[in-house]
Amino acid sequence: MRRSFGTAVAALALSLAVSLSGCAADSRGVDSTDVDPAGSVAPREISWLLSRPADGAVIRTMRELGDEYAKAHPGFKLRFITTPDRPSYIQKYETLAAAGKLPELFDTDATPFARKLARHGRMMDVSKLLHSLGLYDRYRPAALDYQRFDDGSLYMVPFEYQAEYFWYNKALFRKAGVHVPASLDDFPAMCRALRRAGVTPIALDGQDQWPLERYAAYQPFRTAGPDYVRQLKQNRARFSDPSGRKSANWLSALGKAGCFQKGFSSVGYADAQNLFTTGKAAVYNIGTWELPSLATTALDPAVRDDVDFFTLPVTEGSATAANEFVTPSGIGMAVNSRTYDPLVRDFLKFALTRYPAKYAAAGELSPTSDVKTVLPKNATPLYARAVATAGKVGKETAVPWDTQLDPTSNAKFQQNLVLLVQGDVPPSSFVSTMDSVIGRNAPRYAK
Amino acid sequence: MLPSRSKLSVAVFLLPPLLLYGAAVLLPIAQSLFLSFFTWDGISELRFAGLSNYAFMFTEGDFWTAVTNQLGYLVVCLVLQLGGGLVVASLLISLTRGRELVKVLYLLPAVISTVAIALLFQRIYSMDPAGPLNQFLGLVGLDGLERPWLSDVHTVLTAVSAPEGWRFVGLYTVIIYAALLTVPRELEEAARLDGANQWQVFTRIRFPYIRPVWLTTSIMAVTYAMRGFDIPYLLTNGGPGQSSELVTTYMYKTAFLSTDYGYASAMSVFIVVESLVAVGLIVLVLRRKAV
Amino acid sequence: MPTLMSTPPLPGLSRERHTSPSAPNAVRRRPNVYRVLSRVLIAVLVVVQVYPLVWLFLSSVRTEQDFASANPFSLPTSFTLDHFARAFDHADLGRYILNSLIVTLGADALIVVCGLMGAYAIQVLGFRFSNAVRAMFLLGIVVPVQIALVPLFIDYAKVGLLDTYPSMMIPLAGFGLPMSLYLFSSFFGYIPRETYEAASLDGAGPYRIFARITLPLSVNTIVTVVMVNSIFIWNDFVFANTFVLSEGLKTIPVGLQNYIGAMGKTDWTATFAGVCVTVTPLLLVFLVLNKAMIYGLESGATKG
Repeated sequence: MRRSFGTAVAALALSLAVSLSGCAADSRGVDSTDVDPAGSVAPREISWLLSRPADGAVIRTMRELGDEYAKAHPGFKLRFITTPDRPSYIQKYETLAAAGKLPELFDTDATPFARKLARHGRMMDVSKLLHSLGLYDRYRPAALDYQRFDDGSLYMVPFEYQAEYFWYNKALFRKAGVHVPASLDDFPAMCRALRRAGVTPIALDGQDQWPLERYAAYQPFRTAGPDYVRQLKQNRARFSDPSGRKSANWLSALGKAGCFQKGFSSVGYADAQNLFTTGKAAVYNIGTWELPSLATTALDPAVRDDVDFFTLPVTEGSATAANEFVTPSGIGMAVNSRTYDPLVRDFLKFALTRYPAKYAAAGELSPTSDVKTVLPKNATPLYARAVATAGKVGKETAVPWDTQLDPTSNAKFQQNLVLLVQGDVPPSSFVSTMDSVIGRNAPRYAK
Repeated sequence: MLPSRSKLSVAVFLLPPLLLYGAAVLLPIAQSLFLSFFTWDGISELRFAGLSNYAFMFTEGDFWTAVTNQLGYLVVCLVLQLGGGLVVASLLISLTRGRELVKVLYLLPAVISTVAIALLFQRIYSMDPAGPLNQFLGLVGLDGLERPWLSDVHTVLTAVSAPEGWRFVGLYTVIIYAALLTVPRELEEAARLDGANQWQVFTRIRFPYIRPVWLTTSIMAVTYAMRGFDIPYLLTNGGPGQSSELVTTYMYKTAFLSTDYGYASAMSVFIVVESLVAVGLIVLVLRRKAV
Repeated sequence: MPTLMSTPPLPGLSRERHTSPSAPNAVRRRPNVYRVLSRVLIAVLVVVQVYPLVWLFLSSVRTEQDFASANPFSLPTSFTLDHFARAFDHADLGRYILNSLIVTLGADALIVVCGLMGAYAIQVLGFRFSNAVRAMFLLGIVVPVQIALVPLFIDYAKVGLLDTYPSMMIPLAGFGLPMSLYLFSSFFGYIPRETYEAASLDGAGPYRIFARITLPLSVNTIVTVVMVNSIFIWNDFVFANTFVLSEGLKTIPVGLQNYIGAMGKTDWTATFAGVCVTVTPLLLVFLVLNKAMIYGLESGATKG
């Protein structure tokens, strides 16, 4: 009994494992360039796996559009599968991709993993799709560029447009006698002055990793431009290059100058923001998606009028201009080629045509340039200024590194960054660790 | 053996549990073993990799950090659960009233989900704003000890292990308490008449008497500590750096974030072997003493 | 191994009765300092075990400002139920509780049925390799659950079980089975052989004996097995987090993650309210049935 059972288990395991290899090869659906397949529109339920706040403007707007479309097409339904927190989302999306279970629409950044999916023909060519729908030219070039892979190909549709600023508290700056830093290299001195005045210099959400990773990207973006990380992630540039070293030294200096609140690595998003909005911290680096909580009359009056912002400072001999900084168009939406059919096309045409106007009416910055943001009723003058600045950005954008590095390198990069800034490892060993991590993991995604 | 049994009836009763156990436990073990000899990312073709996953595992610094951390986690859990359980159970024995109530109160945390516990302890350990632990230290004049418990590389491992120990202290207390009750009073009384003090009564009479139970609880505690995952994963996700990374969380990330299923499977196999060895050692040590 | 009683009593039957006459004597002889110290220690430990939960409940009813500024050891200066309203707004708590209930009951049913049958086959019926099969099952107590994650994920994707209730029930039941099989077989060891032999002489076959004798006698052990397993199943995070994808199937532990926002923004007070709501059902069951559970824990480890 037992023996035969054991044999059965072994045989079953073998057959399942062997059949795994077939998993990747089977392909249904359409070719990724066949954006206008023949056939009639047959309404059915489609799903969108997304990583956006459940009560946010994108989901609200798309839900309304989905309902409108369903009225005209009985039997249609747009189902939202939300996983708001990003690490869980990435895990879910990658496992679904491995299992071949991705739904019709799914969110992804232009990561090496997504590149791999695109190369296997699992995502629709969005450039062709938007052209074919006659929508391509309505988009802000910067919003589309953010979604592109390094070779310029486009596989994701942007739904937002954001600009990331350094918000600061004018009163606290006065108290410490500091000015808006003219160069990135002025940061450590600014932090020391603020510390002397008894103020937490910069509020940082260390728990979610990506905010600190932004700081790592700043120096290389200024000294070498956006190309550095594109080379780095393919192991063609090294951390031990001048740009990488400068970044590591700068981050270590920020840590030594006490720039971030004590124990930042276990402080979450809400707590970090509270440090700034309650007037305890002087600087807070965040994107325009927080405008509703930073440029609003609902903010504590004692802090409200002291809030201002500056954009990413340049450095001496900077390769990029002052109006070029982090301007993401958010996580993009990919269209699954295995489930693409006339219905998906028809719905996307309907929704994407109407989306910008509806979205901008909610006080948000649209990824297209043909609509104007409607300011909310409780907005402070800062709101309009922030929106205006976002409209005047240059050509290059500082891409967040978490969308560039492969997942393994990224995870280890984030881990080691904390140690570097906390002073637990010196810049030199940080640099050599990262070079060996990227050297080992980048090739896995090159194929 | 039941005289009227038939081969068929044995098979009928044995089949459902074997199917369930086979599908959920045995098959995955076999598959992990199989996958550990391959390289697979979920998208591309499966490629035979021989022993390279294992070779890499044994040389990777990060992996050994995780192993060391898991042992640290194990030690904290064992000290809190078994040591704490034994002490508290001994105290309970001397309690004359309210034992039932105290047992229930001790058991309360075991009912709470790990997600809730992680959320709770994130606040408890918080530094800025100061959470209950740091405020308490301030109140009793130990300001010097106030720190960001989850950010300090020296305290984080203990800080993520303690909640796991804490939630099951009650469980082990209840079990050990029940065992202590079975120690015959006459034995203890006799020992005391012979002049044995409290400590001797404990080491010579009580503990040897409950050794079999101690064996069971040790195995339980060790296997649960080896499975430890939820709280470190949710509280710090292994950070800062790798200071609170366990083999289990590292394996999970390797599989579901790095999509390196082959390497993750090699780590799974390691975890099983490690658990078997640990339990084997416990049995060996405690059995030998019993002889 | 020491056994407490030759036949298992009803759950909840306090064992203290047997020992209490001698306990006070033992205590009276000890110095007072020791007694006071141990009382104090017990009380401190009660506070350590219970205080975090009290804090949790208090935090869920104070206003945000009070929560942010107040000393955690003070009583709330404000009272609000807003957080509960927001907690229900953000996440479908009722749905999560229902899902947890379905998964817990389903897995419990599997564990009890398979555990009873397996123990019956091994302990009562007996067969040539029964000891080897028993050992194979016991091995499962030691195997960490994480090993099943990757293979099961792949298997589920193949057979279409991903994102279903069974995807959670199967591994939860599979890994719970060894312990309950062990509990059932040690219980079956207490049922006198003569009972079975008499029934056999009356012409009862293995199925009738199982239904008429074994099953009715096992009710108490079933309650124990269900209670002990329910705690682990109800609180399972790792399987639900790995196998469940859609909102409608999320159980409580995974659902609570919903309070962590897109970029990591957490609404703490609403989170605590959500935690309170989801903790309450099992807490109530535990407070009502704690005797059965404590009995189960005690007998589970001290017997066999």
